[in-house]
Amino acid sequence: MKLLEHEARKIFGEYGIPVPKGFVICSPGELESRMGELGTRFVLKAQVEVGGRGKSGGILMADPSSGKQMAEELLQKEIKGVPVREILAVEYLEIQQEYYMSIAIDRSTKQALILFTDQGGVDIETLAKEQPGAVRKASLPLLMRDIPPFMVRDLLGKAPKELAKVMNQLYRVFCERDALLAEINPLVTTPTGVFAADAKLIIDDNALSRQGITLNRDLTEREREAEKHGFSYVELEGDIGVIGNGAGLTMATLDLIEYYDGKAANFLDVGGGADQERVMHAVRLVAADPTVQVIVVNLLGGITRCDEVARGIISAGISQQVIVRLAGTNEAEGRQILDGSGYRMMESMEQAVKAAVEAVK
Amino acid sequence: MIYGDRNTGVIVTGATGKQGAFHIALMNEYSRQVGGKGVVAGVTPGKAGQEVAGVPVYNSIRDAQKEHDASASVLFVPGFAAGDSIMEAASAGLSLVVAITEHIPVHDTMRAISFARIHGCDVIGPNCPGLLSPGEIKMGIMPVHLSCRGHVGVISRSGTLTYEIVDQLTRAGLGQSTVVGIGGDPVIGQTFLDVLRRFEEDEQTRAVVILGEVGGSLEEEGARATDLPIAAYIAGISAPPEKRMGHAGAIVEGGEGDARSKIARLKKMGVPVASRPSEVPRLIREIL
Repeated sequence: MKLLEHEARKIFGEYGIPVPKGFVICSPGELESRMGELGTRFVLKAQVEVGGRGKSGGILMADPSSGKQMAEELLQKEIKGVPVREILAVEYLEIQQEYYMSIAIDRSTKQALILFTDQGGVDIETLAKEQPGAVRKASLPLLMRDIPPFMVRDLLGKAPKELAKVMNQLYRVFCERDALLAEINPLVTTPTGVFAADAKLIIDDNALSRQGITLNRDLTEREREAEKHGFSYVELEGDIGVIGNGAGLTMATLDLIEYYDGKAANFLDVGGGADQERVMHAVRLVAADPTVQVIVVNLLGGITRCDEVARGIISAGISQQVIVRLAGTNEAEGRQILDGSGYRMMESMEQAVKAAVEAVK
Repeated sequence: MIYGDRNTGVIVTGATGKQGAFHIALMNEYSRQVGGKGVVAGVTPGKAGQEVAGVPVYNSIRDAQKEHDASASVLFVPGFAAGDSIMEAASAGLSLVVAITEHIPVHDTMRAISFARIHGCDVIGPNCPGLLSPGEIKMGIMPVHLSCRGHVGVISRSGTLTYEIVDQLTRAGLGQSTVVGIGGDPVIGQTFLDVLRRFEEDEQTRAVVILGEVGGSLEEEGARATDLPIAAYIAGISAPPEKRMGHAGAIVEGGEGDARSKIARLKKMGVPVASRPSEVPRLIREIL
């Protein structure tokens, strides 16, 4: 889960990483009453979880005379479709130099990957592509308690020594907070010292409970329903609903729909143990999407009982057509149950997908 | 076969849970069929003295080792405890851990894999269906009735998609040497590269299917480093960026790891890539 900037910067602050003076507001009035703390110039930053806020007008320069008006406007905005509910107001920094520092997970080495460059404030992926030499990197096994001093020196190069402490503390944050990514972009030097001018922290979803974090995502009704039943569910833009078991098979079903020039409306992985109850909930959930014209159910498993699945589909009692591919135990019984109820059962996923694409043409 | 054969003794950790008990029974049903050793002991701390599916349960792997000869373990413990179980197995001197468990915090996985490596123990998974060498051994949860013994190796980040492909290979008369589910998490122990190295040493294996998906670049890293004949299928060509497609590791992040660029890189290396699962048997026939 990606934390909001103000949540991430609070954690960075707790670890001794200097952050600019500031506070969170939900209304223009709150800003007005506290803006004295920020001096003669300050910055208003929309607290939304989407990237690229600055380019989308989510970061504004303000002063005491314009602040209230600007906050009001920002709170009425949507940034890339996400409504702005909170603003982080921070002091203006006299920036001398911008750096980039991050710690992420490297799938290839199975270690922490530390990145640093003295060309901060830019998109790191673009920079890495255009000037590969500009970004310094090092891998560190998570069994290490600290970043070895040589590695810090190598990464920082000629950058000021104060950044070493920030790097070490960022590694602490990364390790202790189960982060997938801890990033400061830009990390800046000013006449009064070093500051994390932005803060980004993505926490591993599988570690949220031990981190004491509850998910606060804005979910649609169907996404909430999916979460309740433990389905993996992603909404897409087509008209063919998809239910599969296992992420790979479900993705392959989506791909096959695209291969036959159809468009999937969703990805839904019911997970293991697809019984009558789970299948019924999954079918109802997908059918509740008004754009869904037809549903493909593609279930394959050694222990999946086809008769159970068939009953689940029928008991969902939906109006859309359902095209089913089932492989597992009691296949013949499952087929019999479905045939008797007017649903179509296909021999292969390929046939099922073709039939679904035909059905919406 | 690779990683083990019918003489490999297996300890199941998390034996007394619903999943553990169910799959001990299935694994041993298979080992009886093929005349193998199978699961010799189960481990659940605090449950010593119990029996699960005819297998004795111990408090620790070390306790189980006093009575039984085993070199591998299969984990069915919950996510929060799985890192610990991997390290216990490695520390006890087992040479292989197959971690079926999903939802292990990724930092736990990284630490446990580093720890296991120090002890010379290989980790398959986590978040995987395990492996199956038809006619020899099953360590994990793969259905056995879809497979048959042969010369095609299969390496996959997925579960059910693997079964789909194995089924199609079998129907096409292409038996399998070993089918390895390496797991759907962002960080996994044995990667495509590691398993390919094993297949290179395996006389039974003549060609390998790589079943990849969006996220990371492990498929290309493996393909680049082997001279075995391989064919691939990559799931997720329709996956939107920055969305997790079921597996924790199946996500296109920062413009990296999308299916199209993965497929393009594989094709550039001369690896045939199937545009749908049903093409895999034909591609394998062509390279055999």
